[in-house]
Amino acid sequence: MTMIRFFLGKGGVGKTTSAAAYSVGKALQGKRVLIVSLDPAHNLGDVFEAELGDDPVKIMDNLVAIEVDYDKMIKKHLKELTEKIKDIYGYLKIFNLDRYVDVLKHSPGVEEQASLEKIIEIVKKYGTGKDAFDIIVFDTPPTGLTLRIMALPVISLIWIERLIKLRLAILERRQTISRITGETFEIEIAGKKFKVPITAKEDPIFKELVKLKDEYSWINERLTDPSTTAAIMVINPETLPVLEAYRAVKFLNKIKVPVTHLIVNKIFELEEIPEKLKPKIEEQDRALALAKEKLPGLEMLKIPYLGREPRGLDMLKKVAEYLSSIP
Amino acid sequence: MVLKKLSELFDAVVSLFKGRSVEYIEVELRELENVFALIVLGSFIGLPSPPSTISLRLLPYMGRELLVMSRISERLDDMLGEMAGLFDIT
Repeated sequence: MTMIRFFLGKGGVGKTTSAAAYSVGKALQGKRVLIVSLDPAHNLGDVFEAELGDDPVKIMDNLVAIEVDYDKMIKKHLKELTEKIKDIYGYLKIFNLDRYVDVLKHSPGVEEQASLEKIIEIVKKYGTGKDAFDIIVFDTPPTGLTLRIMALPVISLIWIERLIKLRLAILERRQTISRITGETFEIEIAGKKFKVPITAKEDPIFKELVKLKDEYSWINERLTDPSTTAAIMVINPETLPVLEAYRAVKFLNKIKVPVTHLIVNKIFELEEIPEKLKPKIEEQDRALALAKEKLPGLEMLKIPYLGREPRGLDMLKKVAEYLSSIP
Repeated sequence: MVLKKLSELFDAVVSLFKGRSVEYIEVELRELENVFALIVLGSFIGLPSPPSTISLRLLPYMGRELLVMSRISERLDDMLGEMAGLFDIT
């Protein structure tokens, strides 16, 4: 089965570089790798020194990359939802629903929803079937947004379970009334009569809820399966990124997303420490000790400060050597 | 003839009892449908709501629930009358 890897961390710590280097390393080992940037502020293309977009672009043998077009993704997500409402059930216009529908693009949470739909789409398209990639690597937006995206299937499933229970209570009562009085339920909307369903089998709301449950359960199982999925935290040797990583890992544990590795990027390894850099090195040591204490369950991988930005395949191959123990 | 009349009377009594027996279930059903609509579409009236995909995917099928919700909301300022009607207090 296709492996899924999420690279998470605070903005600017080197998520994209680590994700890109890991992908290059795996591609060199002969694995077929797809790397996807979900960060709205893309720089995966800059790291690979290539022009990327919504369609996969070949970076090297066994490695292709995608930069998700955020505007397009949100528009597509909303279009699919609103068209369904406007087209199939035009009569709902009497409730002035058009007005509500148009304002949805400003509603909080649309970005997370659209991102999750995109993750589902990519995992289904490139992670199943005979042409599936061996590994899909997601370079994610900064921690806050990523955690909200990853929590969405769990939260949605809680809502769906409750709504299914309520729906069954409604259908049960409709059936009881219908059995006793023999009456069929009807509703008149805009002069047209519609039969109201009384069994779960014929109720479109119940069926849609079950469909939603299946979809979210599928992605939730995929995101929480430790045999195929891993989240990898990326930090710099500074106190704040360590503390943020600690909170993120706690949250991911709660929603059962497996976190396996901690990459500490840009570590100063100097033989002789200049006077001016001494406080920085002390801070680094403190941060590394804190990371060991706070995140003992994660395998720590250290990437030294390389002197210049790791851009382009040659540099990424060097960085990949530090990440070779990530499966 | 008498038998027919009696049978009609019997049917009327039965249907009256049937009607009475489901009266409370009908009110309960109406309230459940109202709650369902309020939960799914709560964001439209300022309540916290489920993730928007869930609301929007269910919305097209919620004609009856929307009507029930709007009818109930019309009577919200006369809840006492509503309860009195339910328990036959005149």
